Amino acid sequence: MYIGNETNRIDALDKVVGRPIYAEDLSVPGALFGCVFRSVRPHALIRRIDASAALASSGIVKILSYRDIPGENIFGIIKKDQTYLAEDRVRYVGEPILIVLGQTEEAARKALRLIEIEYEDIDVISDPFISGGSRTLIHEKGNLLSHRKVIKGDIEKGFDEADVIVEHTYTTAWLDHAFMETESGVGYPDNKGRIVVVSSTQNIHYKQKEISKLLAIPEENIKVIQATTGGGFGGKLDVTVEGFLALSVYHAKRPVIMRYTREESFLSNTKRHPLYIEYKTGARKDGAITAIKVSIIGDTGPFASYGETVCLRAAVHATGPYEIPNVHVDSKMFYTNNPVSGAMRGFGVPQLAFAHESQMDEAASMLKLDPFDIRIKNALKKGSLTATSQALHNSVGIVETLKKIEPYWRKRTRESGKTGFGLGCMYYGIGNTGVSNPANACLTITGDGKIALHTGACEIGQGSDTVLAQILQEALGLKMDDIVLVRGDTDTSKDAGSSSASRQTYISGGAVFDAAKKMRQYLDEKGFYKGRSIRDIYNSEADKKLLEHNGFFDPPTTPVDPETSKGSPYATYAFATHMTEVEVEKETGSCRVKKVYAAHDVGRAINPKNIRGQIYGGIAMGVGFALMEEFIPGKSGSFDNYYMPTSMDMPDVEAFIVEDQEPTGPFGAKGLGEPALIPQAASIVNAIKDATGVRAFELPCHIERLKILLEKAKR
Amino acid sequence: MLPDFASVNPETKREALAFLDSLDDARVIAGGTDLLVDMKRGESCGNVVDIMNVKELKRLSVNDGKIIIGSTVTHAAISKTVILNDMAQSLSVACGWVGSPQIRNMGTIGGNLVNASPAADSIPPLLIHDAILSIESKDGMREEALEDFIIAPYETSLRPRELLASVCIKGLPGYREGYRRAAKRAAWAISRLSVAWAISEDDDHFVDVRLAIGSCTPMPFRPRDVEEFLKGREKNDPVIREAVEIVAEEIRRISGDRPSFVYKMPVVKDLVQKALRG
Repeated sequence: MYIGNETNRIDALDKVVGRPIYAEDLSVPGALFGCVFRSVRPHALIRRIDASAALASSGIVKILSYRDIPGENIFGIIKKDQTYLAEDRVRYVGEPILIVLGQTEEAARKALRLIEIEYEDIDVISDPFISGGSRTLIHEKGNLLSHRKVIKGDIEKGFDEADVIVEHTYTTAWLDHAFMETESGVGYPDNKGRIVVVSSTQNIHYKQKEISKLLAIPEENIKVIQATTGGGFGGKLDVTVEGFLALSVYHAKRPVIMRYTREESFLSNTKRHPLYIEYKTGARKDGAITAIKVSIIGDTGPFASYGETVCLRAAVHATGPYEIPNVHVDSKMFYTNNPVSGAMRGFGVPQLAFAHESQMDEAASMLKLDPFDIRIKNALKKGSLTATSQALHNSVGIVETLKKIEPYWRKRTRESGKTGFGLGCMYYGIGNTGVSNPANACLTITGDGKIALHTGACEIGQGSDTVLAQILQEALGLKMDDIVLVRGDTDTSKDAGSSSASRQTYISGGAVFDAAKKMRQYLDEKGFYKGRSIRDIYNSEADKKLLEHNGFFDPPTTPVDPETSKGSPYATYAFATHMTEVEVEKETGSCRVKKVYAAHDVGRAINPKNIRGQIYGGIAMGVGFALMEEFIPGKSGSFDNYYMPTSMDMPDVEAFIVEDQEPTGPFGAKGLGEPALIPQAASIVNAIKDATGVRAFELPCHIERLKILLEKAKR
Repeated sequence: MLPDFASVNPETKREALAFLDSLDDARVIAGGTDLLVDMKRGESCGNVVDIMNVKELKRLSVNDGKIIIGSTVTHAAISKTVILNDMAQSLSVACGWVGSPQIRNMGTIGGNLVNASPAADSIPPLLIHDAILSIESKDGMREEALEDFIIAPYETSLRPRELLASVCIKGLPGYREGYRRAAKRAAWAISRLSVAWAISEDDDHFVDVRLAIGSCTPMPFRPRDVEEFLKGREKNDPVIREAVEIVAEEIRRISGDRPSFVYKMPVVKDLVQKALRG
């Protein structure tokens, strides 16, 4: 048995001893260093650029503008609306305008200061609420990027049936991914004249396609390699250094290195979307929720990035893991001149979990019900219809996760007037929303008698390499020594889709499983399971093409209805319950998270150790989201003023694994990456309410906000 | 990237003072947890005098109730020195809150004082201990009270070619003392507000109360009015309530009303009240 083993991650030892070469560590002899010259204005026309002094300064080789782009100056993972280099107009502070290529990093950075630029400011849209009605258009087609609705039942009737109505507004802040490694990479021409880009990324095949369009060069002449990557969390899905590196190599015809400084990463990287959420819940005396109405306004910044995904995902998940008969969700995403918001662990769902879990507690409080009981009463079960009227037939483990937590909840006791307990539940659709999002995998037999797994799935620290290897081992009954992992290179693998949406275990795992079934049959026919060696099979096969077996998996989903979102946007969902104990220091407003009990339905635990690691990491990020992290445009610039948790803020965690197997998943597995984070902030906010009687409607609930709330409550 | 600079590593105080006297555009590095950050941000200085190898400046001695802390004694050393924990508890607690373990291992008391941040953790405890600084140059030595040494945020009376050699404080036997602060996370955070206190009291009266407040006004300060008010007063709720209001008034007198006071004022009041109640 390889599934369910407490195997160490296959990259663990190397990473612990500092062996891997991360993108940031890469160097190539004779490489130029590339720096980006960026806008300092949020919205302006570019009247004049004078880069002559910079170009003449010592050690500067080339300065590139949008005019040097041979193909299309546009990219975007869903909607292509973002320019690589600004043309006549900038739309946010930090927008790239020029690339400066120097002999050294020092020369390139110095030259940035010599570039003169003349702007003509235009009206700045800094608020999504004025964006829609503004005559200033950020894009020609208007400032509304996306509008989604989820409609189920009869919302008016639902509220008529309710005995109590709970109505509140919730807001969240911009957050930075703050991955350990900033955006980095190298580019170089290879000996076939192709352009190679090696970078810190979550999706090599997507980047290959974008570079191909940027340079008007066929995809096969672009090679993208994933370097060992120091974290992503969604922030390395969009094109960052890759386009600039490719363009630089195209012109300079020699290797180029790029490494963003931390300050540059803060300035330019996508952020978590700040959402404004109006939430109305109707419930009967017995705790049954009769209706939920939600209005969401989001700020995507000047470019779409993942704004449409967040708009839809937030809407689809707005009701939480509960069966609600009458639902009306209205979700809008607007363009502004604020930082570009994009993908970040959970795509809007952590924000909504904060809202729906706060509402559950408020409803329970009005009805004098235990917060646990109201949740279990409304929880989704087998046969339930979700908010999009999708019938759930399998792997619906929310009740099981609640039951894991129940003993701790029932026997909770407050140590002092400063401590309190809170619950948070969530569900999360695994994979992309209502669209095909397949993964490929390929298995080959090598001359030295091993099975090679070729996958485009990017290991970004989440553990996909280990999990995919375990799935392969289990399917073929092979030891780790018999397997070679070949991955992270567009030359040697087909598209596996992005490492995002908690999808690689489920989808790439499914593709590996599919390929393994074929390989197993082949090996069986050739006598491997009767003792014949793989090497022998390799040597005896005249047609080496027969040694290759391809796998494919695309989760069965249906597109959602454009008006009501009715449909089955995901093939499967993950479920979780967190219970958190906090201690609040009332004099200063500081909140310490002491203990978290976290139960997750993962379908099947491929690697329990890795699952616990994901849960610990998700909780750490949830502590930041709840209590301190906040990117303020124009103010937050580095770790000096962007506070995120340290190990001293980390609570004790007890993690529980629920296995309600998903029939379409490899050995029953689903996904966990984002779910680990999603309910955590909500459970903290609920625990603060329990400890102090005050509720935070705005995140982060940092020391100042909490103290001010406590002061208001005194009066 | 650090700008180019020259550096010297004196091994005696005399040598250090001679370097400071002869080198133009010189900055002293005493740990570097502030200076190197400033230099990476583009602040230039031609010469750096590294005093970390000067033995005389590393000493921590106790004599006759007087504690002399050399300027390159680190925050880590101060927070772990048993005798300081006894004689100046607020200082050892405060130094234990500075930055992270790495910063405490590098950062020094002298560096903290010369940097003179309004949020410096070591300053409020030193103020309640009436710290006297010993400042030397090639031409001689002078002493100055810490209260006078800091003349504005990030600005001190230290002249070019002078070196802060040591800090002298007196133990406060019989006082209960402490240090509390508010910060945005559990560790590695700048104080949003801090209070140091040393209180001597008998059964039901305050005998002598010393308070210092940091991260609130442009410079950490001692609210002398309230210290005066509390001398000999009965220790009861109305007195403590009045004392807290006097503190708030003193703060407003110094800085007017600031937006941050929405948060800071109630925190100061609560922390001072807690400190007085004990």
